[in-house]
Amino acid sequence: MIMYLLTIILLLLIAPLLLSFIKAVKMWLLYKKPVSLFQGYRNFAKLMHKETLISQEASQITRIAPFLVLSPLLVTLFFLPPVVAGAFYVSFVDAFTITGLITLSTFFLMLLGLDSASAFGGMGSSREAFIAALVEPAMVLTVFSVSMMSGDLGVGQAGVNLAAHFPEAHMASFLFAAISFFILLLAENGRIPVDNPETHLELTMVHEAMILDITGVYLAIIETAASVKFVIFASLFASLFLPFGLQFAAPVAAALFLVKLFAIAATVAFLEVNTAKLRLFKVPNLLGIAIVFAFLSLITFYVLGA
Amino acid sequence: MGVDFLIGLFLATLIVALFTSRLYRLILWYSMNSLTLGILALLIGEELHDKAMLITGIVTILIKAIGIPYMLKSFSHRFHFVRQIQSEIKVQHAIILIPAILVFTFYLAEPITHMIHGNANYVAISISSLFLSLLLMMEHRNVAPKIIGFLSMENALFLLGITATEGMPMLVELGIFFDLLMAIVVMNLLFHKEEVTP
Repeated sequence: MIMYLLTIILLLLIAPLLLSFIKAVKMWLLYKKPVSLFQGYRNFAKLMHKETLISQEASQITRIAPFLVLSPLLVTLFFLPPVVAGAFYVSFVDAFTITGLITLSTFFLMLLGLDSASAFGGMGSSREAFIAALVEPAMVLTVFSVSMMSGDLGVGQAGVNLAAHFPEAHMASFLFAAISFFILLLAENGRIPVDNPETHLELTMVHEAMILDITGVYLAIIETAASVKFVIFASLFASLFLPFGLQFAAPVAAALFLVKLFAIAATVAFLEVNTAKLRLFKVPNLLGIAIVFAFLSLITFYVLGA
Repeated sequence: MGVDFLIGLFLATLIVALFTSRLYRLILWYSMNSLTLGILALLIGEELHDKAMLITGIVTILIKAIGIPYMLKSFSHRFHFVRQIQSEIKVQHAIILIPAILVFTFYLAEPITHMIHGNANYVAISISSLFLSLLLMMEHRNVAPKIIGFLSMENALFLLGITATEGMPMLVELGIFFDLLMAIVVMNLLFHKEEVTP
C-alpha cells in the first residue's frame, strides 16, 4: 500500500518535469539555450500567487470546471498499472473506465472554453470535441485489445500479466496496438502533429484556445491537469507496451520506469521537431490510422491469433 | 517473435502508405515496406538454413529498399511530377474499408491456413496486404502511386512466397527481380507519356 501511494506521489511530482523536459529537448535540438527542467514548478508557483480574474460573462461553471478537469485525471492515476512488483494496484478498472474518466476531464475542459463566451473559447472547444470524438473509439479498442492479449480485462492486472509473460505469440497485434496508442498519446495531449502547445496563433491552437480566459490559480490547475494527462498516457504506454523490468527490486524498477517515461518524452520531442503541424482537417487522417490500427490489432488477435 | 514483429511492421507500413497524400512520403513507406521484407527474408532464411533466401533477402534490401525508391524519386524529379497525390477514396470511407478488407481476407485465408503447418498466419497477412496494395492502386489517379501499388503487390507476393513455401527456387526469385527492373524501365516510358498528356 505504501509503495502504491509513493508511486502516485512520484508520478504527480514528475508531471511538470516531463513537460519541461520535452520543451528543453526541443530547444536543445533547435540550437536554442534549453529551458530549465524546473520551469514547470516555477510556473506553478508563480501562477499560485497571481490574482485570479474571471470574465464578467462567465457563469458558475468557470469556478468549478478547473477542479472537475483535474479530479478525473487524479482518479485515473490511482488506477494505473503498478510501477514496482508487489505494490498494491486496482485490478478491475477496464479500458472503458479509463477512457471515460479521461473524456470526462476533456468534457469539462470544453465546457470551460465555452463558458467564457469569447469567440476563441468556442472555437477551441469545438475543435477539441472533434478530436476527442475520434480519439475515444481508438483508445477503447487499443486498451481493450492489449488487455485481451494479457488475458485480463482490467488495465492494472494487464500490466502485471504483460510483465510476467510477454505475449510473444501475439507480437503483430501488440505492435499495431502500440502504434495506435502512440498516435493517441500525441493527439490527446495536444502535441505537434495535432496541436501545437506553444503557439498563440488563432488558426493553430486547440488546447490553448480553451484556456485563454483563465488566470491565476485556475490556470495553474489546468496546466497541472495537462501535465498529469501526459504522465497518465506515458505511464500507460510504459507499462502496457514496454512491459519489462517489473521483476527487479523496487528502487531499480522505479528508476527503470522513470527512464522509460523520459524516453517516451524524448521520442515525442524528436517527433515534434521533425514534423509539421497538420492542418485541422487533415487530423482525421492521422486519427484514422490510429482507429484502423486499433481495430486491426483486435481482429488480428481474434481471427489469426498473431 | 521477431518474425511476427516484422510481419506486423510490413502490414503497418502498407496501411500508413494508404493514408499518405505526398508522393515522396509514399516512396519512403514503400522503401520501409521492402526493408522489413528483406530483413524478414534474412531471418526466415537463417531459421531454415537456406542460403538462397539469404541472398534474396540481401538483393531485396539492395534493389527494392534502396534502388527502386531512388530511381522513382529521380524520375519524379526529371518529369516534374505532381507530388500531391490525392486519394480518390475519402478518408472516412477508407477507415471503414480497410478493416473490412482485412477481416474479409483473414477469413478468406482460413481454409488455406489449415493446409500449411508452422507459420500459417503469415499467409493470411500476405494475402491481405495483396488486397491492400490493390486498394492503393485503385485509390489514386496518378501513375506514380499506381506503380507503387504494383510494386507493393509484388512485395506481398514475395512475402507469400517466403512464408508459405519455405523458400522458392533461387532462379524464380532472381527472375522476378529482373522482371521488376524491366517493369521500372517500362514505367519510365509511362512517366514520359503522362508528362506529355497531363
